[in-house]
Amino acid sequence: MPNTRRPLTALTLPAALALLAAATGCGAGTTLQEDPEEYPSQNLEWTIAFGPGGGNDIMSRTLVDILNEHDLYPHDIAVENREGGSGATGWGHLLSNSGDPYVVSTTSGSFLTTPLQADTGWTHADFTHVGLLATDDLLFLVPESAGIADWAEWTEHAADTGPVAVGGIGTVNVDFIVQARLAEQAGYEIEYVPFNDEGQLQTAMSSGSLDAIVSNPGSAMGQVKGGDITPLLFTGKERLDALPDVPTAAEEGHKGMVSMPRGLILPPGAPDYARDWWIGVMRKVVKTKEWRDYITKNHLAEDIRWGDDFTAYLKDSGDEFEASLREQGAVK
Amino acid sequence: MDVFAHLANGIASVLSPTTLLFLLIGVLVGMFIGAIPGLGPSAGLAILLPLTFGLDATTAIVMLAAVYYGAMYGGTITSVLINTPGDSASVPATLEGYPLARKGRAIPALIIAAVASFVAGTVATVILTVAAPPTARIASSFGPPELFLLVVIGLLTLVVLVGKSWKGGLLSVVLGFAIGTVGIDVSGGEQRYTFGSTELINGVDFIPVAIGLFGLGEILWTIYRGGHRETPAEMDLRARRGAFWPSRQEWREAAKPIARGTPLGFLLGVIPGAGATVASLISYSTEKALSKRPERFGKGAVEGLAGPEAANNSAATGSMVPLLTLGIPGSASTAVLLGGFMMWGLQPGPLLMRDNPEFAWGLIASMYLGNVMLLAMNVFCIPLFAAVTRIRFATLAPLIILLCAFGTFTVNGSIVEVGIMFGCGVLGFCMRLYGLSPAATVIALVLGPIAEETLRQSLLLSGGTFAVFVERTPSLALLGVMAVLVIVPIAIPAAKRALHRRAAEREQEGAPPLT
Repeated sequence: MPNTRRPLTALTLPAALALLAAATGCGAGTTLQEDPEEYPSQNLEWTIAFGPGGGNDIMSRTLVDILNEHDLYPHDIAVENREGGSGATGWGHLLSNSGDPYVVSTTSGSFLTTPLQADTGWTHADFTHVGLLATDDLLFLVPESAGIADWAEWTEHAADTGPVAVGGIGTVNVDFIVQARLAEQAGYEIEYVPFNDEGQLQTAMSSGSLDAIVSNPGSAMGQVKGGDITPLLFTGKERLDALPDVPTAAEEGHKGMVSMPRGLILPPGAPDYARDWWIGVMRKVVKTKEWRDYITKNHLAEDIRWGDDFTAYLKDSGDEFEASLREQGAVK
Repeated sequence: MDVFAHLANGIASVLSPTTLLFLLIGVLVGMFIGAIPGLGPSAGLAILLPLTFGLDATTAIVMLAAVYYGAMYGGTITSVLINTPGDSASVPATLEGYPLARKGRAIPALIIAAVASFVAGTVATVILTVAAPPTARIASSFGPPELFLLVVIGLLTLVVLVGKSWKGGLLSVVLGFAIGTVGIDVSGGEQRYTFGSTELINGVDFIPVAIGLFGLGEILWTIYRGGHRETPAEMDLRARRGAFWPSRQEWREAAKPIARGTPLGFLLGVIPGAGATVASLISYSTEKALSKRPERFGKGAVEGLAGPEAANNSAATGSMVPLLTLGIPGSASTAVLLGGFMMWGLQPGPLLMRDNPEFAWGLIASMYLGNVMLLAMNVFCIPLFAAVTRIRFATLAPLIILLCAFGTFTVNGSIVEVGIMFGCGVLGFCMRLYGLSPAATVIALVLGPIAEETLRQSLLLSGGTFAVFVERTPSLALLGVMAVLVIVPIAIPAAKRALHRRAAEREQEGAPPLT
């Protein structure tokens, strides 16, 4: 494929782009005007807003691997971890490349929560949304030694014993919202104990300090299969293939379960043709065997929404997060 | 199931040419990464993990684990030669290693550290081989109250570390705590001292602070005391007189601390959280307490280098226990490895060793071999690294400053952290000038936030009562350890003084009365 660039002149620079640059407060210098037909004509920069080895990193690298294996992106893809500030650094990098269709990134829970916590300069609504591919939901877990077999037993136990100690990662996070909502709807009292890392959260429960925790299936499945912890509930829309006996929260009559969106985004104000091109390619990606393997192995729930549907989803989830956290007093 | 049959299979799976090659690459890269100021084990792993995407799982883990413990060996080189610890667990080793190097004993100090690392790494791997599942129970019995007590024990050892100048020590610790409060408060979700900057919401990292306070602070101090005008010739002479191998006296001094540090490190390394750092701190303070001449500590005592160095390396192996048997990461480095497990398509958890024996046992087998490789490589490379002590300070200092800046930037790609590093350099210089303890500051920076978090978690769990710390058996055991730690250093000198006094009194009674 020819790698031609048109010179950037005042004549070819459409007024729309100038307006956009002014609106986003960023220089138009990073934006190159090109023929939509020729997209993509350059190397791609793939930004991962978290460190290597995390859920977001593994998803991004799986996607890049699929794009390369199946020759879906005709040029080179440079993958870079830009971690820091719970995603603020990585997605901030996309913000500073507003309008550039050659920078992509993937989303996770912090995409919605970090702007609620800190002055990031962006919110989820600023970016160009390509598509939601899957959601990462939570398992509600109790230690095997507690002898609790199902959700009904748990709610009864929790209501009887008074405030129960439950844990999760962080305060301004999905974990807290889910714990608070479940307790409220099932009618028991909780003392929510926030943790910074998964290892300490899990040992806190195994040591007998916590009565229950929520965890992503990917990090808890090993212990569940080993029989050390009992899963009682899954917050996803459908039951997990790996745990067909664990009911969903909806089946037990609980509503408003939030989850982490795993999707693909472009910088704010990226051109429509780029977004459409990516939607077309990602439609192919989600059909590949490698992607299906990834979904199964990491116990994600497939949830595909393209373009505007993804935007609407993010808006709903974002509002939900904000309302819930405000209600619980976690953000002001 | 026979442990040795598993181990034999593991050895067989490691002995393929490809795996051996990757093991060699791992230890080499690990050692050199560790030898760059700022790049410790966890940063090294994070940089290399993406390269293993798509590799066979056993080959990948063998290589990455080698990078992990290789970086621990390499980190000692920067600790000893340029006073820059690569992670919080190697801070105590720096306190004795660098003065030894200044005395012209750089090569023997590095050899002792390498041998301590080798003995500890190998013995710890033996313990891992035979006793991984039972020791995993220690890890899973540690909830927030126990972690809090453990961290407090680590903080108590700072009393020993700062020695007599307790006012300066206290100020240094408070400074560390203060820096540690920056960032989002995990319990409340609010920002503290971030001034709205997203760069600071995850707090101030250990690396830039340690490099600044230690490495850069030392350079500024050397310039201040006129060290740049000294000719390297005198250092060189001293180094030559010191020869290559440590003296018999030094070996004798190192032996027992290594024997004590190894099991201590393994045991605490198993505990998720602050195991390695607390282990090397306890080792350091134990050696100082047991020493007949504690006044040599801080001026190049071999015991204070060998003990913590052994503890630190066996803790790295100990942290493999919860990783392999429970799928729980105990440290920043093992968290990256755990991410790797998932990246290579393995399910971490209690069934990992049963379902993927060639993976788990291949890793364990490779650790024996990797430690041997590292010892050989260290002995071979040490004179090369130690040659920096022969470079004129005026030439060396700018190079070290550049390396410090480069190392700091590489970890997170953050220019703000480079700024923090330079700021802490000036701070480190002032601390030396006024007799404060940079070591106490960085340890407090690492342990302070963990202490705060686990204390708040404990109190949330108990509904606000401190009874939670005496209700559980592991906590009670830790309280016992703490009591011993507090009482022994106070009691022994007091007892000594009492004996002296009595002897003096007796003398006085017998003496003729003064006119």
